[in-house]
Amino acid sequence: MEEFFQQLTNGLAVGGIYALIALGYTMVYGVLKLINFAHGDLFTIGSYLGLTLLTSLSLTDRLAPAAGVLVLAVMVMGLVAVVGALLERVAYRPLRQSPRLSAVVSALGASIFFSNALMLIYGARFQVYPQGILPKVAVNIFGLYVPLVRILILAASVVMMLALYFFIQKTRIGTAIRAAAIDQDAARLMGIDVDRVILFVFLIGPALGGVAGLMVGLHYGQINFTMGWVYGLKAFTAAILGGIGNIPGAMVGGILLGVIEALGAAYLSIAWKDAIAFGVLIIILIVRPTGLLGERVAEKV
Amino acid sequence: MKRVFIALMALCLLAGVPTLAAADSVKIGLMGPMTGPWASEGQEMKQVLDLLAEDLNAKRGLLGKTVEVVSEDDGGDPRTAALAAQRLATQGIVAVIGTYGSSVTEATQNIYDESKIIQIANGSTAIRLTEKGLKYFFRTCPRDDEQGRVAVQTIQKLGFKKVAILHDNTTYAKGLADEAKGLLEKEGVEIVFYDALTPGERDYTAILTKMKGASPDVVFFTGYYPEAGLLLRQKKEMNWPVPFIGGDATNNPDLVKIAGKDAAEGFYFLSAPLPKDLPTPEAKAFLAEFKKKYGNEPASIYAVLAGDGFRVISAAIEAVKSTDPDALADYLHNKMKDFPGLTGTLSFNEKGDRVGEVYRVYKVDADGNFILQP
Repeated sequence: MEEFFQQLTNGLAVGGIYALIALGYTMVYGVLKLINFAHGDLFTIGSYLGLTLLTSLSLTDRLAPAAGVLVLAVMVMGLVAVVGALLERVAYRPLRQSPRLSAVVSALGASIFFSNALMLIYGARFQVYPQGILPKVAVNIFGLYVPLVRILILAASVVMMLALYFFIQKTRIGTAIRAAAIDQDAARLMGIDVDRVILFVFLIGPALGGVAGLMVGLHYGQINFTMGWVYGLKAFTAAILGGIGNIPGAMVGGILLGVIEALGAAYLSIAWKDAIAFGVLIIILIVRPTGLLGERVAEKV
Repeated sequence: MKRVFIALMALCLLAGVPTLAAADSVKIGLMGPMTGPWASEGQEMKQVLDLLAEDLNAKRGLLGKTVEVVSEDDGGDPRTAALAAQRLATQGIVAVIGTYGSSVTEATQNIYDESKIIQIANGSTAIRLTEKGLKYFFRTCPRDDEQGRVAVQTIQKLGFKKVAILHDNTTYAKGLADEAKGLLEKEGVEIVFYDALTPGERDYTAILTKMKGASPDVVFFTGYYPEAGLLLRQKKEMNWPVPFIGGDATNNPDLVKIAGKDAAEGFYFLSAPLPKDLPTPEAKAFLAEFKKKYGNEPASIYAVLAGDGFRVISAAIEAVKSTDPDALADYLHNKMKDFPGLTGTLSFNEKGDRVGEVYRVYKVDADGNFILQP
């Protein structure tokens, strides 16, 4: 039983990261009906920028570690949001009226561009975050040994997801985003500036992806320019699992995917971990083709 | 007037270009992972070959011609590699050096064989690559059955009774894991865990937690250094003190960077000797020259093994005084004996495998240095 809970916490930490990245996919899909394949690479950019800022500004030395990491996170979010907005302006806006396939190809191209640009800037070798930024403390929860960082990752993910949820539900711009998701033309007729809404989506999604990249860098230490692909694929799966276009769905899907992976590895076979996770996805999609929370079309974002 | 000019230009192109390209140089191909997860290996392979070719051209060239290294990127991926091999095969190369990963090499073997191009792999240790009877295939790295044997020897010497084996489902890692498993079972050592991870991920705690449940004395990981580094780091975070032994793909200084010094300490791995432990005078001179040109010594032994591939093929071309692939293959198989390579003496058997013992056991010390074990 102890092993079960240990695996559950392993899965929750991984799932929290998946969920944060999945939010970016799901928001863009909700508004544009576009799978932003470059999103995984925005996540990678976040982890690289985090490393650069961390080593060049030595924030964690000047401020308390916790405050330093917080400032760092805000800076990374801001920078990656700018990259996301640029991406939208350069690669997607010119194709707004073209067939959907063109935009998907453009997204794949942007993904290849980003990962190779990172390789050329930072080099092909693995980059490593300096050690000991986050305290290596383990918390004892009912006799279960859980590293504090894992709890912080999950907590930070949940807080950001909830903040996003309330932002979308309660604010004016959130309402505009929801309206544009339902019907862009109708939203335009109601006086909503759809281009501005889309820009907002491309600021928020990449910011969350970027901060997920920073968390991966801080916790796992090792980053490289290809890692966005695997994370992107998993997060995309999570978004579909929860119902793509649906924000709570992305959260549930991400966390669920992480937990399924961990438990599948624990009780079935490690080598079959991905097969199990994707098998579950197929079963869920057969039973519920719109994903777990995908039926609430009126609230789609 | 304009039309005459264009026609003249076209004639010049038709007549001039092929002769220029064909006559003045001997082309040696390099296929390596310049991008992708193993890009650091590939880029160093290129540095080594560029340096060796420069040296050769400064001295005498080959057969009175200059040597040209034509490199293609295999991306560490079998599909990309097949395309790279097709491109190389049409560029008039005599031989190709590379590549690093066994599954990547395997995807290109037949392409080179059909084009009668000598292929000398530098890091592909999977057994079956040389069991296909391909006449033009050689490798300067040793084979996994040899590595498996040394691994089992080491495990027994260190007195471990319960062993967990973890691989990553690549041709190389699974081959080595199977080899070691068979040998260990024969010796009566208990295998308490045998499974594969997915390379390229960041979180391996689920696997470590499961492995811990099997309570092995030692874990033998046959995959590559990025995953090995993460496993060591996350094992340390779990407070699990089990010793790890790695295969020769964990031999890369980045392992310590990824794991952190405190987590990497005590990690054993098998490998051909590291560049710094190479005993031959050729190697010492080469390393000094490499450092002069690029600012640091080569980090990876596989880049140096690629250099040996280049040296072997250029020696063969000199010896047979031609670039005929059959003559070269025959020379490498039968006539080359104890060629003084950078990584020790080189000879090839009839399968194209390197003859002789190459593997050593290394241990990581507290400062993250790789220490050769006696």
